[in-house]
Amino acid sequence: MDSLILANIRQRPTRTLVSVVGVALGVVLILVNTGLVRGMLNDRMKREKGVGGEIRFLRPGSGVLTTSSLPLDVRYADRLKQIEGVKEVSPIGAYIQGGGTGIGLEAVEGIEFDSYSAMSGLRIIEGRIFQNDNEVIVDDFKAAKSKAKIGNEIDVFGKKLKVVGIYSPPSGARIKMSLTAMQNYLASTNKCTMIMVKCVTPEKQEEIQKRINETLPGNTVQLIRDLPSFERAIPGIDGFIKTILVLSTIVSSLVILLAMYTTITERTREIGILKSLGASKRFIISVIEKEAITISLIGVSVGLIAAFLIGWVIGATTTLQVEFQFSWIAIATLIGLAAGIGGAFYPAVRAANQDAVKALSYE
Amino acid sequence: MPILQTDNLMMTYRVGKVDVHALRGVNLNVEKGEFVSIMGHSGSGKSTLLHILGGLLKPTGGKVIVDGEDLAAVSDAQRTDIRRRKIGFVFQRFNLFPTLTAEGNLKLAEHVHGTSGNAELRREVLRLLKLENKMKHKPLELSGGEQQRVAIARAVINRPAIILADEPTGNLDSENSEIVLQMLVQLNRDIGQTIVMITHNPEAAEIANRKVLMRDGQIVSN
Ligand SMILES: Nc1ncnc2c1ncn2[C@@H]1O[C@H](COP(=O)(O)OP(=O)(O)O)[C@@H](O)[C@H]1O
Ligand SMILES: [Mg+2]
Repeated sequence: MDSLILANIRQRPTRTLVSVVGVALGVVLILVNTGLVRGMLNDRMKREKGVGGEIRFLRPGSGVLTTSSLPLDVRYADRLKQIEGVKEVSPIGAYIQGGGTGIGLEAVEGIEFDSYSAMSGLRIIEGRIFQNDNEVIVDDFKAAKSKAKIGNEIDVFGKKLKVVGIYSPPSGARIKMSLTAMQNYLASTNKCTMIMVKCVTPEKQEEIQKRINETLPGNTVQLIRDLPSFERAIPGIDGFIKTILVLSTIVSSLVILLAMYTTITERTREIGILKSLGASKRFIISVIEKEAITISLIGVSVGLIAAFLIGWVIGATTTLQVEFQFSWIAIATLIGLAAGIGGAFYPAVRAANQDAVKALSYE
Repeated sequence: MPILQTDNLMMTYRVGKVDVHALRGVNLNVEKGEFVSIMGHSGSGKSTLLHILGGLLKPTGGKVIVDGEDLAAVSDAQRTDIRRRKIGFVFQRFNLFPTLTAEGNLKLAEHVHGTSGNAELRREVLRLLKLENKMKHKPLELSGGEQQRVAIARAVINRPAIILADEPTGNLDSENSEIVLQMLVQLNRDIGQTIVMITHNPEAAEIANRKVLMRDGQIVSN
């Protein structure tokens, strides 16, 4: 029977190809999208941790992704610094704008260079530090992957700002300007978005978090290491991924359904022959299902390879990273297979229920 | 007890509001090892009878007992199962799987039957049908006579209780008809295969042990 299934698959190469592409498309949709979301979050996480502090201090209700103004008074920095166990503090202004690649959002930070570099170990590896409101520095990754090179201008606050330096290692937002410059652009003198806090003893960060809460009540005090769950709550991401899952399931199932449906009409007489040989309904359903599963498996494999290639190309040509997760690979594979099995079921049952004598005389 | 027995077999097709009485009380007994030919004009009910004998159709009345089991009294699934175990069909149009080789066609029949095949029987069948060198060919690479021999091999490979052949030489020239008929005779004689064959050709009918003539859905001479 295996040879019958393989022969059928080879018999109609175009149909097989179209079905394989359909299933592969579903797999690619799932993997590239979840991989992009994952890559964005992980990348942000890594850079967030790269800032070097263990705690961040914000106004209640203001997240990093929701800010477009500066709500926090910079003078909190001095008060935080006086709390026992706090080693260093650095105020940061955060501004989110549409991404330069057209996908996602891009963050810009206003920093006090001295306190920031002391905390994070950031240093200028090329060019120089910003000196006026029209200058920015970018990290080496962005400089390598985009047009943001020294001497070039990039769009921030709807203005053309000049890249004057490249820093490393990446931490926080990839584009940085002086906090004063950001305050001027956003008309918020002496304000910032958050204050990063570095502890004398990182192991005691929870204790210090508590102490900050007690000393300066009514503010949001977050541990950086707890951020993943916080960041994952990007509004709409869940719905977006669910839509992708439903969409790819529908696309794959429909493609398989159409392919198998035309196939069984074409092979009506062969189904009659199987019946004359004494093949049961179950046998006929299983022949058609096995063919669909084989096509789906090829589609899933092609989809996995394509997704990895696309991920690699995105990683190599843009500042975005695609990170594949085993669980999503498993889900995409299962959806591809389920679509094959589900899509072929109706045609298979129809074939199995055909009248044997009529099927045998089908032209 | 006969290997095949029908008792007052009736078949009425309903076409729109009209009833077509294709079989009107057929009583036929076939003993194990017999080679029976059925003749009759077009429309006399031969194919309908053969389809019922092989369990492809359920009669509207009467009994069909194949090797002790009544095909008229069981469910569709059971009829299919009896067909799988006891019947081998040979058709006028060969009905081989075009995408499979001769060997693939035989293997598929064995697979449906649920056996891995009896190597000795297979050799014997291929020798009798002179197909040893044709196994790697696909149907379109074979002549009509060769295709029909493959179809006969497929029918006999699982040693069914009965082979039912519906005008097996109807699509063959006289030379190939002769070869195919001789092979059926050989299978009947050498391995004792019971065969019921429909034919239009009086010479073909002659080679059988017994001739049955049908007219208007009844057996008129036996
Ligand atoms: N599926 C069917 N529906 C309606 N009438 C049928 C069908 N099959 C056969 N008949 C009719 O039954 C009669 C016997 O047909 P058939 O068994 O094919 O005869 P034969 O094989 O001897 O030519 C004919 O009148 C034919 O038109
Ligand atoms: Mg006929």
